[in-house]
Amino acid sequence: MTNQVNSIVAKVFSIPESSINDQSGPENIESWDSFNGLVLLDELESHFNVKFSISEISNVKNVSDIKECLKNHDVNIDE
Amino acid sequence: MEQKISDYISASKNIKISDNSKNVKIAILSSFTINGLDECLKVKSAELNIRYSSFIAGYDQYNQEILDSNSSLYKFNPDITFLIIDIRKILGNFFHFAYSFSEQNRKDAINEKINQIKNLITTFQNNSEKKLVISIVNPGTSSPIGILENKSKFGFNDMINKFTSELINFSKEQNSLFFHDFDLFIRKYGERNVFDYRQFFIGDIQIAFDFLPYFANELMSYIKPTLGINRKCIVLDLDNTLWGGVVGEDGFDGIELGQTANGKAFVEFQKQLLSLWQQGIILAINSKNNFDEAIKVIKEHPEMILREKHFASFQINWDDKAENLNRISEEVNIGLNSIVFFDDDKINQERISNEFPEVLTIPLPNDPSQYVSILNNLNDFNVLQKTDEDFKRGQMYAEQRERKKLKKSVSNLDDFLKQLDIKIKIKKANQFLIPRISQLTLKTNQFNLTTKRYQENEIQKLSSDSKFDVYCAQVHDKFGDNGITGVYIVNKTEHSWIIDTFLLSCRIMGRGIEDALLSQILIDAKNAGVQQVEGEFIPTQKNEPAKNFLSEHGFKKENKYWIYTLNNEIRSPKHLKVEVE
Repeated sequence: MTNQVNSIVAKVFSIPESSINDQSGPENIESWDSFNGLVLLDELESHFNVKFSISEISNVKNVSDIKECLKNHDVNIDE
Repeated sequence: MEQKISDYISASKNIKISDNSKNVKIAILSSFTINGLDECLKVKSAELNIRYSSFIAGYDQYNQEILDSNSSLYKFNPDITFLIIDIRKILGNFFHFAYSFSEQNRKDAINEKINQIKNLITTFQNNSEKKLVISIVNPGTSSPIGILENKSKFGFNDMINKFTSELINFSKEQNSLFFHDFDLFIRKYGERNVFDYRQFFIGDIQIAFDFLPYFANELMSYIKPTLGINRKCIVLDLDNTLWGGVVGEDGFDGIELGQTANGKAFVEFQKQLLSLWQQGIILAINSKNNFDEAIKVIKEHPEMILREKHFASFQINWDDKAENLNRISEEVNIGLNSIVFFDDDKINQERISNEFPEVLTIPLPNDPSQYVSILNNLNDFNVLQKTDEDFKRGQMYAEQRERKKLKKSVSNLDDFLKQLDIKIKIKKANQFLIPRISQLTLKTNQFNLTTKRYQENEIQKLSSDSKFDVYCAQVHDKFGDNGITGVYIVNKTEHSWIIDTFLLSCRIMGRGIEDALLSQILIDAKNAGVQQVEGEFIPTQKNEPAKNFLSEHGFKKENKYWIYTLNNEIRSPKHLKVEVE
């Protein structure tokens, strides 16, 4: 699952998957602007079949936050 | 099903387009966040080998871009400008609180809004002659008075309806202005899908990500015909496509047409096809069947909607479907890229899509109840304007089939041409003819010396320029009217006339009409006292038929140009009558 998150992040921001870690976010990924951030969440929602609330969406600052959010939606990302 | 927005965004970064592509410049002006639309349009254009470039105005900057005549919008000079405005921003306080104002206030407000938008459009048109498409986005509307909404005098809904209907009427008066029906889009996909409150609150996104690709399809409906990309001919199978069952096995009385649920689906499909035929779409048959059995159904079955006269070609035999499709393309004289292929058989679908990728092969399912909506959802038949020729096209091609029969029965070409009794009326461009003249320059590929493409406003300019002659030809013969099917544009300089454009619709090629038009130019030039006429052949992938035209008519090549010296005798074909209006 962890790899799935990373590979979606890689796809949305057009960067190599190997360059992504939990601390990846708007500060170190240049194409992670507010619009692409929304596209990322939209992609995650359809992939994991979840719906994030507005506050969840607003609070996502990096990949680790995304994983936390998915955990809260009972998506087991450690498998 | 459409792909995700992220797929479009990543695909838009790796677009490869061949050199012989068509170019289009698009501007998107929007009152709300519409990021991602640009990428969708770019990818969808590339799929049609269109080189797409764009100007995207900043968020809610449409007024500034249009009002400032030095704006980046006008500098970019787009072929089409999409102006996408949401009703919330237009109505302001009236959006939520319409009933806190009096009826008169509501009326005054909407009239003011209408004037504002009309002024904006007029300002745009003063700065650009190119196309403007307006879409009024109005999802998420609701009335506080519920079921009484439609009883209230000039209520909330009336405000919106009045605003849009005024815009629609305004667009009817002007060729370059189009009104995109967003309501129809919402009706098709549903407000709860298209409008996502979360995305709206987060970023003023008023068309949800998942539906931007669908919205892009709607806009492609304007881009395609601007570039002359549209399908003109539907090729149909018979068994299980136009009727249920197999006539060769089930017999005349055993096929399903009308009566049963399935039978009704086929009748509805045929009615939809007939309505397209009435709009000028050509129909043809490509079917594996015994000809006599199949044609009997077409001629005599009481529930058939489409009859013999509606089809431009019948390929009913046991030959390969691809071979038959080629024959149709040749008989109707229409490019494979103008053809849509409907056949229920998956193997036939695959055969055609492998052999002719340029044909639009419809992945028809086994269930005939789906046929109508599949046909209705195609946006490939759009034209920006209908000329008389367009409406009559289906009929003209059926007449063409009769002409070919005559040609087969008369062995000598000269005798055939004499029997056709051709009359040509050569007409100077005027307001009524300009749309058709432009259309012919945009669409004619085969018999076209220079393949110069002219939008209407460009033809308008040329025709009012005393240095240019813009003429077209209406061709009539014993089988009927072929309509305006030839165009020539001459640039008149002091000592020489230069043929800027010379084209002929492919369906009337080879009947001496091209000879008659050329000799008319030469006669006019001689009468005007110039010494020579210059022509040019600019080769394209498709204009081989016009390649030797100038040399065969006494033009001599000098460098890039072909020159005709006017002290030669001018030959005109004898079998046809020419009249200059």
